[in-house]
Amino acid sequence: MAYPQSPSTGTPPAQAPIERIQCQWCQGINEKTALTCQFCGATLDIRDLVSESGWREAPRIRDMTEIHFSRSTCQVEGEIVPVAEINLAQGDAVYFEHHVLLWKDASVPMSVLQLPGGMKRMLAGMPFIISVAGGPGRVAFSRDATGEIVVLPLHPGMELDVREHAFLLASNNIGYSFVRIKGLRNILFGGQGMFMDRFITQNTAGLLVLHGYGNVFERVLRPNETILIEPGAFLYKDSSVRMDVQAQQLTSGLFGGTAMSLALMTGPGRVGIQSMYVHHVTE
Amino acid sequence: MNTGFGQNPPSPMPAQRTYTCSWCGTVSDGTALSCPSCGATINVKAIVNPAGWMKAPGRKDMAKLNFNKSVCQIEGKYVPVADFNLAPEDGVYFAHHVLLWKDPSVPITMMPLRGGWKRALAGMPVLMTQAHGPGRIAFSRDAPGEMLALPLQPGHRVDVREHLFLVATHAVAYDFFQTGVWFTTKNGDESETHYPLGMMMDRFSTGNLPGLLLLHASGNVFVRELAPGQAILIKPTALIFKDSTVSMHLHFEHPNSGWQLWMSWQQRYLWLRLVGPGRVAIQSAFEPVEDDGASITNSSPATRQNW
Repeated sequence: MAYPQSPSTGTPPAQAPIERIQCQWCQGINEKTALTCQFCGATLDIRDLVSESGWREAPRIRDMTEIHFSRSTCQVEGEIVPVAEINLAQGDAVYFEHHVLLWKDASVPMSVLQLPGGMKRMLAGMPFIISVAGGPGRVAFSRDATGEIVVLPLHPGMELDVREHAFLLASNNIGYSFVRIKGLRNILFGGQGMFMDRFITQNTAGLLVLHGYGNVFERVLRPNETILIEPGAFLYKDSSVRMDVQAQQLTSGLFGGTAMSLALMTGPGRVGIQSMYVHHVTE
Repeated sequence: MNTGFGQNPPSPMPAQRTYTCSWCGTVSDGTALSCPSCGATINVKAIVNPAGWMKAPGRKDMAKLNFNKSVCQIEGKYVPVADFNLAPEDGVYFAHHVLLWKDPSVPITMMPLRGGWKRALAGMPVLMTQAHGPGRIAFSRDAPGEMLALPLQPGHRVDVREHLFLVATHAVAYDFFQTGVWFTTKNGDESETHYPLGMMMDRFSTGNLPGLLLLHASGNVFVRELAPGQAILIKPTALIFKDSTVSMHLHFEHPNSGWQLWMSWQQRYLWLRLVGPGRVAIQSAFEPVEDDGASITNSSPATRQNW
């Protein structure tokens, strides 16, 4: 049986192979000519910097790199204290803690995200109000210390826990909630406070932008693989990673000794840390 | 009899290629991208300004430093991390607050220190912790700056300003001493003693074996070699380390002015005067020196200059 032939050429149309580059940071698929990932801004033409111990550096985002989400863009500007400048399309919005707002067009409307548990948040020292900026227009965000912007495009069905006050902005198609850190020991000695921010995507992808102090490193833990980290260095984790506090007893004849609390992270999932951590005084 | 005739001529011995690191003096074959002892980039000329200060060497991200049978990898740019892969026979010691992460299997214990009470009074860490191999452990500080790798050759001794020490290998001996740099001021009936350099300084030395010392400085790092008798004035809080052959004392300068404001006779610049021979390192981000301008009633040995 002969296949119907194209009347113009007489041969069936050939499907040209489609070449794409997959970003090693966010797994986003990019055109083969792209130099930076359009979803997270990571450079595509250099290899990931991974230490022998398995920590991968968050991608150094080139100055003025543009990242796309929904119909809007995010441009990362500067290197020492980078700024995330959002050009919001009509219908798009981002939410953020109000103290990270750097500047905005006067025309960009602001509103407040409705949050459950406001009293709990206030008691835990978390922002009582999460602000929302809607398009069209430009709005920019930055934090108050040297560090790196970490762009985490969230694919559908992801759940990510973030240290309180570390998130810079999130697109409004990402669900926001907060989870209480389990265990009194975790709260008192874990150094993360009482709550962590939790970001969840359902059926649509979204953009989450964090600011880590100093340099940011990520490691993927296998199931039941563990690592001990300084609690002040914790930045984010997949919700599948369990976090506990482990006390390291240090004894000395003269001063009786002390205990150092470290966060025990157990896989599977990603763990992100910041190298300029918030130091918590030991017991 | 083998005359060698008709045989291939013996291949010439390959020329022995050596490279001496301009930062730490380690001799290597120069085939790596960075010095195996301090991580300084190879084949990049040391940057020296006309005044003689040399910028700390650039270091490629993820540069590896070898010591004994272990490896230290330096990661990051703004607040670098020292990531150690300790061999079973190796160990490091550190102030406990610089620990970033570790393998659960790496044991950490206390390192006995003498003079704990003096250290507590001086505001220095009373506890020094140590970790042994095998396993991985990493350290970082809480300020943007540079990580300074100082491979210490046998018999070497350096003095480090307090709170700048990150981690040292077990081949490096640790001690501390009183700086002997102080002045007292009197304001009304109140008298106060100031220690612009801190009460104590850390001293690191090596015996017969080489060791590795890592410091974390705020901002950028510059090093200068002072000739015997050569002096330099620096802000006391800018000092990172000096060779123990370099002596130091206070220096007060009183600026001249065309007309004097009320109490302007108290205006002064407070310096640390360092006299060679030896190396001196400074950091570009430093805390202001506490000086309320009150009358100085007494001080450690000091020089003065009125302009």
